[in-house]
Amino acid sequence: MLNSSIQHITLSIGEKRELVFLNESDMDWHIVQEADSFLRVHILFLSENDVTAQWQSKLFVEQNGANCRTEIYAMGLLHDTQQAHLLTRVYHNIGGGYSSQILKFVLNDQTKGSFRGELKILPNAQQTEAYQTNRNILLSRQADMLTEPQLEIYADDVKASHGATTGQLDESALFYMQQRCISRDTATKLLLEAFFNEVISTLSDEQQEQIRETIHRIL
Amino acid sequence: MLEIKNLHASIAGKEILKGLNLTINEGEVHAIMGPNGAGKSTLSNVLTGHPAYTVTEGEIIFRGKNLLEMTPEVRAREGIFLSFQYPVEIPGVSVVNFMRTAVNEKRQHEGKEPLKATDFLKLMREKKALVGMDNKLTNRSVNEGFSGGEKKRNEIFQMAMLEPCLSILDETDSGLDIDALRIVAEGVNALKTPKTASIVITHYQRLLDYIVPDFVHVLANGKIVRTGGKELALELEANGYAFLNN
Repeated sequence: MLNSSIQHITLSIGEKRELVFLNESDMDWHIVQEADSFLRVHILFLSENDVTAQWQSKLFVEQNGANCRTEIYAMGLLHDTQQAHLLTRVYHNIGGGYSSQILKFVLNDQTKGSFRGELKILPNAQQTEAYQTNRNILLSRQADMLTEPQLEIYADDVKASHGATTGQLDESALFYMQQRCISRDTATKLLLEAFFNEVISTLSDEQQEQIRETIHRIL
Repeated sequence: MLEIKNLHASIAGKEILKGLNLTINEGEVHAIMGPNGAGKSTLSNVLTGHPAYTVTEGEIIFRGKNLLEMTPEVRAREGIFLSFQYPVEIPGVSVVNFMRTAVNEKRQHEGKEPLKATDFLKLMREKKALVGMDNKLTNRSVNEGFSGGEKKRNEIFQMAMLEPCLSILDETDSGLDIDALRIVAEGVNALKTPKTASIVITHYQRLLDYIVPDFVHVLANGKIVRTGGKELALELEANGYAFLNN
């Protein structure tokens, strides 16, 4: 039953593919990359009106050929009682590949979020570079974020790192901006837009504009 | 312009200012000197409304209004500017975007229309030239990766953009070599008008060679214990604060 809902795709040798998932609930994708292929995935959770949205997303990427490149960008701006749960699984089965993941969540009100990132570099995947960064900002005491980065490395000649932080907005930056005539609300917006910029700036111009407008409406 | 009466302020329950009095009129430059821990930075934090500080007694009247009732951003829009001792880095927010927002929020407070893009850029060019601010810096994120001197120059640039009536320079000389110090001081002097006033907080006499004060105050143990002319700074430089113990 469950397996039937998984979307399978394979990127053939040298293929380039960009995928954008905006507010997809119950997404479950398994993507296999053959040699020299390039995959860029955006997973975005931001809805102004669907205040009780619950998003579940799974993305499984396997690099099965040499010299693949995988980029995953995710962001969530949650409000009211929204929930977003994201699982990424990136397996480097063959060497010479590169993967980066940047995942950023902002949680307000009574929202809940989770991120689990399974990053695996298998014994045959020498000279792999793999990075994963998860940053979260909580805007409310009732918001909750669970983050579980998992890095498993079975090859010895690799560069890999992962990091996860969950915190509040930088109070010293907010005060600095207030001292420059900027209201606390506007300062918060500027800081959050800056926070998401690393993810948004990798979208097409048209999509960037659309996402920025949505962020503005939510904030 | 500014009248501070019997000001008591504390942080985390510890009283730092213990009955400070200070009156500043238009056109005046006041230097505040004193040993570490005397309350110099607390004074600038209280004037700008830093949320970590609590005023327990006394009042501050700024241009006829009760300053203590205003939020930090309203104080700034009313004309109080702090050049921070440690300017904050704001990754992802460019100096241009930051300043456009700041200038327009101030204009809105004054009942003026936002500046047109061309007028804003013209203002930027004019003020950059005035304080010797590098073009490259204004396109970067606020203070991110700036050297100590560049951060301080950015503070003075922002001051030029916002045209405050009262500017507080909190240890603006710290971390500056003599050339950077002179450029920053020239910027401050260029912005001086008969309608503006400054509070210069410093440990060292050398900044006062460039920004010449009308009054020098010694702040110790939460109060102003001595006031004199600019010669007092020289005396402090020579003899230190030993007189405080007598």
